[in-house]
Amino acid sequence: MKQLLLITTFLLTCLAGSGQEIYSCKGPKISFFSSAPMEDISAVSDRGVSAINIKTKAIYFKVHMNSFQFKKALMQEHFNENYVESEKFPFAEYKGKYAEDVDFSKNGTYPVNVEGTLNLHGVERSYKGKGTITVRDGKFNVNSKFNVTVADHKIKIPTLVVKNIAEVVEVTVNADYQPVTK
Amino acid sequence: MLQIRMLTALLLVAPAVMAQDDLSKMFGKDSVSRQPVIATFKSTRVINAQSNETLKKGELDFRVAHRFGDLAGGDGGAKTFFGMDNSSDIRIAFEYGITDRLMVGVSRAKGSGNFSQLYEALGKFKILQQTTDNSMPLGVTVFGNAVVTSMKSSTEEPDASYFDKFSSRMTYTGQIILSRKFGNILSLAVLPTYIHRNRVVFMDQNDMFAVGVGGRLRFSKRLALVVDYFLPFREQASKDYFEGRGTKFYNPLGVGLEIETGGHVFSVNFTNTTAILENQFIPETTSTWKEGQFRWGFNISRRFSLGGK
Repeated sequence: MKQLLLITTFLLTCLAGSGQEIYSCKGPKISFFSSAPMEDISAVSDRGVSAINIKTKAIYFKVHMNSFQFKKALMQEHFNENYVESEKFPFAEYKGKYAEDVDFSKNGTYPVNVEGTLNLHGVERSYKGKGTITVRDGKFNVNSKFNVTVADHKIKIPTLVVKNIAEVVEVTVNADYQPVTK
Repeated sequence: MLQIRMLTALLLVAPAVMAQDDLSKMFGKDSVSRQPVIATFKSTRVINAQSNETLKKGELDFRVAHRFGDLAGGDGGAKTFFGMDNSSDIRIAFEYGITDRLMVGVSRAKGSGNFSQLYEALGKFKILQQTTDNSMPLGVTVFGNAVVTSMKSSTEEPDASYFDKFSSRMTYTGQIILSRKFGNILSLAVLPTYIHRNRVVFMDQNDMFAVGVGGRLRFSKRLALVVDYFLPFREQASKDYFEGRGTKFYNPLGVGLEIETGGHVFSVNFTNTTAILENQFIPETTSTWKEGQFRWGFNISRRFSLGGK
């Protein structure tokens, strides 16, 4: 029985220990921009969620498509209704990993290579990209930019409005992480 | 001892599971799954009926609606190019979104019925929005307008257009729009309506209730079938009186195709009613589909975003 107790205690400590490896961000700033002959399109969401496990180097992002705010209300409606079909595919989800070793105990800016899978519009695509991790006093910031080709995710643009919408969209991610406290 | 062994096994597995564990599990089902349902209808009108939709904050909607003359019957056919030579009603409107839920507007309509030369002021407010998780299964929107005629007063006192005082020129609509989008294809609206006309002819009704239904069936991303229908509750005595004098009232029915292209929503429709405003087409429709008294019409809506968010 004593052993059991010991093991249980160890188990609990172990769980708590693994918790400190995980850092999360509520409300990463995810934006996209595209330049088309007729008009530039940009939208931003700060209602997503993200987490990073600094031991396994795993990165995770999830954002509700409905939460992207556009300058024009009608554009936002078209984006959700006709292009990304938010009712059918409510979320975009990213699961990836960064390659480099980052010393999270030392302040500084670390460039990293990131590789992962983006699920957008129900279609998974793998992406490779670059980003930076900026460590400051036990917290850190992640910044990354990558290009998404809308056709890769089976997002159809009708010929009628092809001049209004770009085929490649630049996505920018900026998130501040804090350790997860249980 | 077995217990301990099992626990040890669990202990060894647990961190491994934790390490491999999907970070996605941290967030699970979060609050963002409840969202208002968008694009129940593509425009603030179905055809003649209001839809649950309002303009978004800072949006200006320039609307033109046109109803031609009778397509067939005594006044239609080839000699009027199937009604195209005549216009029974024309409405030009500017409508504006004050918030994402409240819109106001002004319009000028030719008018068809007792009055012509109409000016309308309107307001529409979304009280409740249907949500994607069905915690709110219906949308509830209210609409109201006040319409004044600027036509010259008749000199004959029994006429509806004999205006002894300014208030005789006014008519009003009050309406509740209950709406629901079923999946991605079908949207329906039910519209309990109250019309008040300050001045009517003998045996007509100042107050009239009606119930309307509107629907939209999506064929593709850009094309939809739209239908609306109203059932006005006119008293039998009033119906009989007017029928005795050769005027029969009919229920307005509209059927149309709605095409959306970016900022434009365009609908081509057929209606038996000649008028465009609720204040007239609900109580004063005297034309029927059966005698060729239906017409081509179109609605055009062009939305502009004024200022950013």
